[in-house]
Amino acid sequence: MTSDAFIRLRYRLVPDRIVGEILSKSWIDSAIPALALVLVVVSMQIAIPGYFSAGSLSDLSRQVAEFGLVAIAMTIVMLSGGIDLSVGSMFALCVLAALTSMNVLGLPIGVAAAATAATGLACGALNGALVGYLRLRAFITTLVTLVIFRALYDIVFPRLASGIVGSSPQSPLWDTIGFGDVVGVPVSFVIFAVLAIVIHIGLSRLKPGWRLRAVGGARRSAYNAGINVKLTVFFAYVASGLLVATAAFLFSARLGSTGADTGIGLEIAILTAVLLGGVTLGGGRGSVGNAIIGSLFVLILTSGLIRLGLPGSLNQLILGVILVAATLFNAKWIKNRGKVLAKVYVSPTYLGLPERTAAPERFAMNDRLGAAEPIGLGEVEGPEDVVLDGQDNLYTGTRHGTIVKFFAPDYRRSEVFARIGGHPLGLVFAPDGDLYTCVGGMGVYKVSPNGEVARVTDETNRSWFSIIDDSRLRLPDDLDIAPDGRIFFSEATIRYEMSEWAVDGLEGRGNGRLICHDPKTGRTRTVLRGLKFPNGIAMCRDGQSLLFAETWACRINRYWFDGPKAGVREVFIDGLPGYPDNLNRGSDGTFWIALLGMRTKTFDLAMRKPGFRRRVAKRLAPDEWLFPNINRGCVVRVSEQGEILDVLWDRRGEKHASITSTCEHKGWLYLGGVSNNRVGRVRIDGADPTWTTAHDDGGRR
Amino acid sequence: MFAMLRAAGRALIGRDTFVSVPPMDGPFKPNALLEQAERLFILPDVDSVVTAGGAAYCSAGRCLHRIEHRGGAFVAVEARRFGSRVAFLAGAPNGRLIVGVESEGLHVRTADSAWSFVPVPTPLSSCMTAGAALDDERVLVCVGSTRNRAVDWKRDLMENGASGAVVVVELGKGAVRTIAADLAFPYGALVQRNGTVLVSESWRHRILRLRISTDRAPETLLDDLPAYPARMAAASDGGFWLALFAPRRQLFEFLLVEHDFRRDMIATIDEDDWIGPDYRSSDAPDQPLQQGSVRQMGIVKPWAPSRSYGLVARCDADGAPIGSLHSRADGSLHGVASIAEWNQDLLIASRGAGVVARVASFEAAHD
Repeated sequence: MTSDAFIRLRYRLVPDRIVGEILSKSWIDSAIPALALVLVVVSMQIAIPGYFSAGSLSDLSRQVAEFGLVAIAMTIVMLSGGIDLSVGSMFALCVLAALTSMNVLGLPIGVAAAATAATGLACGALNGALVGYLRLRAFITTLVTLVIFRALYDIVFPRLASGIVGSSPQSPLWDTIGFGDVVGVPVSFVIFAVLAIVIHIGLSRLKPGWRLRAVGGARRSAYNAGINVKLTVFFAYVASGLLVATAAFLFSARLGSTGADTGIGLEIAILTAVLLGGVTLGGGRGSVGNAIIGSLFVLILTSGLIRLGLPGSLNQLILGVILVAATLFNAKWIKNRGKVLAKVYVSPTYLGLPERTAAPERFAMNDRLGAAEPIGLGEVEGPEDVVLDGQDNLYTGTRHGTIVKFFAPDYRRSEVFARIGGHPLGLVFAPDGDLYTCVGGMGVYKVSPNGEVARVTDETNRSWFSIIDDSRLRLPDDLDIAPDGRIFFSEATIRYEMSEWAVDGLEGRGNGRLICHDPKTGRTRTVLRGLKFPNGIAMCRDGQSLLFAETWACRINRYWFDGPKAGVREVFIDGLPGYPDNLNRGSDGTFWIALLGMRTKTFDLAMRKPGFRRRVAKRLAPDEWLFPNINRGCVVRVSEQGEILDVLWDRRGEKHASITSTCEHKGWLYLGGVSNNRVGRVRIDGADPTWTTAHDDGGRR
Repeated sequence: MFAMLRAAGRALIGRDTFVSVPPMDGPFKPNALLEQAERLFILPDVDSVVTAGGAAYCSAGRCLHRIEHRGGAFVAVEARRFGSRVAFLAGAPNGRLIVGVESEGLHVRTADSAWSFVPVPTPLSSCMTAGAALDDERVLVCVGSTRNRAVDWKRDLMENGASGAVVVVELGKGAVRTIAADLAFPYGALVQRNGTVLVSESWRHRILRLRISTDRAPETLLDDLPAYPARMAAASDGGFWLALFAPRRQLFEFLLVEHDFRRDMIATIDEDDWIGPDYRSSDAPDQPLQQGSVRQMGIVKPWAPSRSYGLVARCDADGAPIGSLHSRADGSLHGVASIAEWNQDLLIASRGAGVVARVASFEAAHD
């Protein structure tokens, strides 16, 4: 038992799940480049004392502005699935355009800027047209335009060189862009920062950016989704040209002159920076942040190496080696990230279930559900919950994403009542006749009596210390409505999707929560956290409290949301021999509990051995995983005080192997099962033949 | 660099090798031949079936039954009741029948229905699993385990038991000689025409070939079977039949290396509720379940990772499997530990279903 206590303590203290959750974040792609950057900064600080002085920082930031803009240009093209090798020559041409306009022709700065932009635009448009519309290979095309642009530069530059050097423009704005600063920050850096933020928002939050990623990530799928692929690619190159022109303009203003070697080798440095930052060659992955991190890395490293007195050729060699290493790492990372994540995400914890204390003698096998009449046999798949309306018609959700209505009195005729799109789980009628449902993977929805579907809520407040985003609802499970109209619903787990609910069982952690939506304010707030697969919810008749089941904990809790005990949570029934699913009110002041499956001694033992379960998840195929015996469910009737009155079994276990919900209605008990192909009903001996849930609705009337 | 990263990852993440079991494929490709076999009669606890002197016998619990064809139907007629469970049946030359009785020894019945008895010492006699007559005088007996009794076979498996033996009992002198030891549950024996003996070593999923006369180590004839092999029976056109009583599953094999869990399971849980192979799948609420066996839309999938399975393999004269008969997870003719060829039929004793069934052996051999 001492080792048990040790295991319990170890799993309480060490939050294993964090590793997997961090790895599942999308920003993890940038984390390693960021670490590399920190490493370079620290090592430069140590190697060259005073490297990061105010003066050199200002100088660095001007370089970052120009270099970074070109890196962002490259990022945009690479996001589209292409590559732009012509950025260096394009840069040189744009510098030439800017300086010719300013120095040689003496044009106003606005016109000069327009001329520079037009040069970049023309170059970009040429690339874009060739790659986007004529479907030429990006690599070859831009390699060719690299040569063409460079040749143009080499032809034009010597004729204008003396003119450029000979005069200097009289423009204060030109000088401000080149040398000025705003509260100590160089103007060019401010321009860069503003552009970077705008582009970041455009790429990550707006449609054009999403389309660009879609095209780069999966060209064919993007086309099938209706995206104009050619136009998107074209604009990626145009945007690249414009950004290069901007960088060239800043460069011209800073240096005021140009040389024969302007922009030579720039594409390699940019490519190194971008790949190092975490932008992928294959397309679709990368961000402005990646480009900036990579740019900083390359600039700090190269200027640092120069200050250390390394010859330029060695400098280039080092850059080349880093480029190869970054590409290699990038490829491996993308290939293996998913595998690593799959291995570490499942993180079981200790769960010592109490002995099966809940009236074991009452759980003797019987066959009271053996005579259940099937409803919709073979027509419904996955009727998790069943509910009946005032005209005795029956409603149930299916895994096809519909709510099916079976007509009274014989339930032979059915129709699709509503199409939701996700698997409807818990169902409940509001007093006004609207049908509210928890939809797996979507949220809480309501269906009006004539079948119109409307969203009630699909998010709640984000918790402060949760690594995974828990604001979106992942697996709302069951709900009930308080007398004042507030909707209380359970979310079974925040770590897994509907299809992976079983994995949550292997974890055995309190990953679920109880949430309240108030239709009056439209606000949704999380009420209780850390629940072990909260499932069924039923209002108590005092109108101030509710019962909710915690499936993996095999217990039923009572929670007071109003009245003198508001906020108190108590255990209602503990030590159940099975896993409770939905809860519903029954006649004579009772409650029905559907047991989804039964506990087994081996699974109970496994729940006390988190390491064992982790290895099960890692080393066995999911179909081979150990599981609670959910081929064996039953229905339990309990009193208002939680005393077990009755247990109903299907002895053969073929009709209702697993029972996920019950609904008592006019002397019949209706049965649902999330993996069943039917709804069942049995007569309840001695039950009030007029009683319905609506007549006993927790003091609402 | 990546090798280093991988090593670091392994240290961080732990062993990640997948547990694998051989798939039911090739000659073991699933079918429903066993499930569709004609069920002759119900006989709870039926274990062995054998032919001797032209008659067919089966054992169930403490009883020996003779299978008779009466009025168009097959029936089991009780031939003798012993003081303890019948461990195995074996046919012998001259129409004799050898009945291994647990904790006692060998009862031998001659063709003219006279019985004689040869005791076998404990602990050998408490876990006899199969036998085969070598000649008039000598009987080869498989002893599953010298640590656990036959009823405790699950414990023997879960303890990674390898204390089984193959012994030769001399009927005249009553002498017992061990010819192979440290076997992991030998569960079937077949004497071949060339004088070698095949023994199925169940926990190691293989068939061994032994030579009685020499001290040479046994050689492996068949390895990595997809299920736990049990008894064998000669086929009329050469080769032999092999009954495999329960399926191998990833989870079971995984459990055998999970020492901590297994130790606690053995110590605190009833054998009936253990994870592991079995002759029959119970639907009692306490039974462990694997995810793939969850009943979906009212049915259990035939490929579900069930605890029990029905499998009979046909091997050719060289010992290579050439075909098989199956009763899959959704069937019930499970736990077949014994088969016998009788009048062109293959008799099948399903311990899981408590049924004796038959298929036409020609059909079974050539499907």
